[in-house]
Amino acid sequence: MDSKYLKELEEGLSPLTVCEEASRCLLCLDAPCSKACPAGTNPDKFIRSVRFRNFKGAAETIRENNALGAICARVCPTEKYCQKGCSRSGIDRPIDIGRIQRYVTDYEESLKMQILKAGKENGKSVGIVGSGPASLQAAVTLRKLGYKVKVYEKEKVLGGMLRYIPEYRLPNHIVDLEIKRIKGLGVEFVTGCEVGKSLSVAELKKAHDAVILAVGYSYGKMLPMFENNRSVMLAVDFLKKVKAKKGNVKVPENVLVVGGGDVAMDAVTTLKLLGVPHVTDVVYEQFSEFKASKKELSNAQALGVTIMDGYVPDKVRGKTVTFTHREIPGLVKIKADKIILAVGQRPDVEGLGIELVKGEVNTGKDYLTKDPKVFVAGDIAHSKFDKTVVGCVRTGKEVALAVDEALRRAK
Amino acid sequence: MINKDLSVTFLGVKFPNPFCLSSSPVGNCYDMCKKAYEVGWGGVVFKTIGPKSYFIDEVSPRFDKLNKENTPFVGFKNMEQIAEHTLEENLRDLRKLKKEFPNQVLIASIMGNDEKTWEDLARMVEEAGADMIEMNLSCPQMTSHAMGSDVGTNPELCKKYCQAVKRGSKLPMMAKMTPNITDMVPVALACLEGGADGIAAINTIKSICNIDLDKKIGLPIVDGKSAISGYSGKAVKPVALRFIQQMRQDPRLKNLEISGIGGIETWEDAAEFILVGATTLQVTTGIMQYGYRIVEDMKNGLMHYMEEQKVDSLHELIGLANKNIIPAEKLNRDYVVRPQIDLDKCVKCGRCYISCYDGGHQAIEWDKEKRTPSCNKDKCVGCLLCGHVCPVGAITKGEVTLKPGRKGDVKKIRL
Repeated sequence: MDSKYLKELEEGLSPLTVCEEASRCLLCLDAPCSKACPAGTNPDKFIRSVRFRNFKGAAETIRENNALGAICARVCPTEKYCQKGCSRSGIDRPIDIGRIQRYVTDYEESLKMQILKAGKENGKSVGIVGSGPASLQAAVTLRKLGYKVKVYEKEKVLGGMLRYIPEYRLPNHIVDLEIKRIKGLGVEFVTGCEVGKSLSVAELKKAHDAVILAVGYSYGKMLPMFENNRSVMLAVDFLKKVKAKKGNVKVPENVLVVGGGDVAMDAVTTLKLLGVPHVTDVVYEQFSEFKASKKELSNAQALGVTIMDGYVPDKVRGKTVTFTHREIPGLVKIKADKIILAVGQRPDVEGLGIELVKGEVNTGKDYLTKDPKVFVAGDIAHSKFDKTVVGCVRTGKEVALAVDEALRRAK
Repeated sequence: MINKDLSVTFLGVKFPNPFCLSSSPVGNCYDMCKKAYEVGWGGVVFKTIGPKSYFIDEVSPRFDKLNKENTPFVGFKNMEQIAEHTLEENLRDLRKLKKEFPNQVLIASIMGNDEKTWEDLARMVEEAGADMIEMNLSCPQMTSHAMGSDVGTNPELCKKYCQAVKRGSKLPMMAKMTPNITDMVPVALACLEGGADGIAAINTIKSICNIDLDKKIGLPIVDGKSAISGYSGKAVKPVALRFIQQMRQDPRLKNLEISGIGGIETWEDAAEFILVGATTLQVTTGIMQYGYRIVEDMKNGLMHYMEEQKVDSLHELIGLANKNIIPAEKLNRDYVVRPQIDLDKCVKCGRCYISCYDGGHQAIEWDKEKRTPSCNKDKCVGCLLCGHVCPVGAITKGEVTLKPGRKGDVKKIRL
């Protein structure tokens, strides 16, 4: 086992460097960072608190706005959101907001601060299906409003997709701590309970005043030509297994990965950190249109992953895949010990009584399905934000408010 | 979010929190003070209102700042005098503010140029609804020598003017001190004798911030010349704390109520002023650089500090450091505490060696091969300059030893 996988790839900031980084902040008017955060974490306010040495206040701002503050600090593609419009870029480079947030949430944890407080019980209860980021945020927002909340998770562990993000980016213990905080708020969790199968939505509706389906895109997509190929594995399954086994998995010498999103980057980087000497990633998109965050791409490149952009798989024969270039005459043939597909994910909504259009329930702002008691959140809810952790946190917040509004109206 | 009661009672007036704008450009009109109240300041000291006869005529530009390395605003120089609006406009603004913000404190800063004007101004601001009066005896950049810090260094004149103000108004009154004086105590005593109820300290320090090297003129340049004027900001905090401590440690001023001023911009600064004896706190420079919003972190941070200190009222913290600041001759001089160097933290820059050699006692030794410092105990006098220059905090207080021939228990020494 290579312990590199278990160590956070990015160094945290120290008390010295976090102050230096915060002092780079221009403390600007109508701060673009805060406008851009899907979760409304309010970076301009918490950076200002750090700047003026109010670390506890900074922790309060983060935690009260984002129940997954310590997770988002590590996994958020900040270059697409808060750091994108940073005024400091007019001088040199944006403020490293993610790492300031990480320092502050680590500080919060080191002092065992208990910032979140449940609201006064209102006698109503909400059941949430799935325990990924959207569910966790919705649970917290609802608890703050005084609802009883019960979360139903099909797996044995809580966290949904958070348990797929590799350890070097998001250590399991960070996820555990966030969930512990949420449990401390009085949210009830059941595991090993698959709604739609072992428990019906109808039963759930009977038990609660409202139900939120937040099942997420937990399954990897397969491409027809790779079906039934024993050398092929889906990236999400691979990542989940490596994480569950703490990196204690056997890996071959030569692995081919197909795909260029964040999950693909997670897969190739994980492979490299596990010590695979030859990792080749073939990507449909060209670098100019790359989907993965720049940070994850540069991490992969720094570790020596071979990335070929602009190629589409054409033929598969056993362990050999032939790719053609999308734009120019070009042919690449790669033989690998193992092939990992990272070509997108899908949800499983069987038995949940909802219909998906392009993978989403098209709900509009109220997150409501055709059933007036059933709401959706997370990946399967239509949202203008990417299907990232922070995007899901946003839907979690919004669905909680939508549920609250609907239940108040019904009263 | 934490919520603790930050209210204080100062000169008999209850403030929702101790944070006030000081009399300066930041509280120059109704709109500014309204915004400050809305952001959460507990009180406003409205920019000093002067006599009708005194014509305000400001220079342009009128500020300068001191930088050190990449930190701007280490100190700030200001040439503005008192409120430039008419007396009527200022009184109208006071009235409006008090009406709209009855629960936040409105303090009128006034400055006369003779007994009559002091008395008249005091009466007028009371009529306008002010909760308290601050006498500006200390502005160092007035264009009249009958006003400002030239008055504030003269105890007799201060006393006379305090009496005049008290004739004009029954409002609680504090006198604002100038630091451009060796000892503030005689002036403070004179003011109290004249009827002042409390003291505000400090106003700005007479300064020249920078000189333009090509033009050979101080900054800011006003038609080829410049003038000495008041210096404020973080750099003056140590001077302010010292003056407040000196007043509080004088037996005649032991329970003096003080409004602390000088470089406050964080909750830590605020707590320091409270610990040396301030009840309320006034801010200008931090606001000029960052805006009224800085009060949010000062209030929130102070609440967390109260929580850590397990107090429910700021009054429990006022002056707690006074007894621990004593004359230098009374300090324990029997021991030496030598540095402890954490080589795991050390980044091998050698700054401790340089500072110890060039500014200390040549006690830090440098291993050229390993590039690591160590302390030669025979040479080390325990000044701990090395710890102050270390960029990573790797040097802390280590072994304590008694000086040769001294007696005592090193374990009982409080470091």
